[in-house]
Amino acid sequence: MENERIKKINWLYLGGYIILPILVIVLGIALTVWHVFPDNGLGTILFAIFLFGPVVFWSVGGSFIFKRQNKKMEQELDRENFHRDHTFNGKGVEVIVDTKDKKVALKFFWNPFEKFIIDAKKVENAYVDTGACGSGFMEGSSRVSFLFTVDGIKIRVNTFTSNQRFRMDSNYILDGISKADMMVNILNEASKDNKKK
Amino acid sequence: MSFLKKFKGLFHDDWCPTCNSEMELTDKQLFMLNETVSHYVSTRNPAYFQNNLLKVDKKSDIPAGVYACGIKTYWCSECSKKIVYVQVFLPVRDQEKMEDVFYYENGELNNFLEKQKNYKL
Repeated sequence: MENERIKKINWLYLGGYIILPILVIVLGIALTVWHVFPDNGLGTILFAIFLFGPVVFWSVGGSFIFKRQNKKMEQELDRENFHRDHTFNGKGVEVIVDTKDKKVALKFFWNPFEKFIIDAKKVENAYVDTGACGSGFMEGSSRVSFLFTVDGIKIRVNTFTSNQRFRMDSNYILDGISKADMMVNILNEASKDNKKK
Repeated sequence: MSFLKKFKGLFHDDWCPTCNSEMELTDKQLFMLNETVSHYVSTRNPAYFQNNLLKVDKKSDIPAGVYACGIKTYWCSECSKKIVYVQVFLPVRDQEKMEDVFYYENGELNNFLEKQKNYKL
C-alpha cells in the first residue's frame, strides 16, 4: 500500500484478538458443562487446552504474528527493490528506511497484515522523547522513544521500555537515546533531501 | 568488562598494566568505529580495529548511534615499553557509554597508528 493513509490499528484484528480467545474459553466451559468432554484425564486435558490456549495466545500470539508479518514485509520489499538501509523494530512498529529512493516502510503491531510505504517527505517533526522526569539525581526514565508525524498521524517508536525507572546515565537509557537519535537523524536526512527535490 | 578494569580504564588509564607505575602520554587520537549501536561485539583482535577504525578530529564528527574509539599511546619508563590504550565507547549527546578497554603491550597496533600519522601528513 504505497502512499495510502496510515492506519495504525485494524479494529477488526484488535477485536478478534480480544474476543476470539474469550469465545474459545466460553466454548471450553460450555463443552465441559454439557459433558461433551469425557469424564477422565483426557477431558481435563481438553478443558485445560481450551482454557490456557487463549491465555498463551494473548501472551505471545501477537508478537508471533507481528514477527512473521515483518519478515514477510521485508521479503516483499526486497522483491519491490526497496533498499532496506535502516531497519528499526520498536516492538509496536517496524520502521524501514530506504535512503536511496527516500521512502519509509511501516508496519504496526495492531495492523500487522498491512504494510505502508510512504515518501520520506511526508515524515515531519521527528524528535526524541527521552521520557526524563524528576530532577537532580532523581532524574530518570522508563521509556525512550522517537516520534514522527505522517499526514497528521503521530507515530511513536520505542527504543527502550521497562517497568522500572532508570537513571538518565544508565546504559539502558543511553542505548535507547542513541538508537532514537540515530533514527531521527536518518528520518530527517531522508525527508530533508526529498523536500529539496 | 570487570569493574576494576573499567575503573582503571576510566580513572587511571595512564597506569602501566604490568608494573602499575604512571606512564607518559606520547600520542592520542580519536577514531570512529564502524559499528552502530547495539551491534558492537567485544573483541580485542587488533585486526578488527585496523579494519574498522576511521580517524576523526572531534567527537561531533561521529554520527549519532555510532561507536567511537579513543586510542592513547603511552611510554612506560619502568618497563621501557610502548603501550597502546584503546577505549571503545558510545558517544550519546554529552555522555559516553563505556564499552571496552584494551591495552596492547606488544606493538599490535603500532603499524596501524603509524599509517594514520602518515595519512595526517
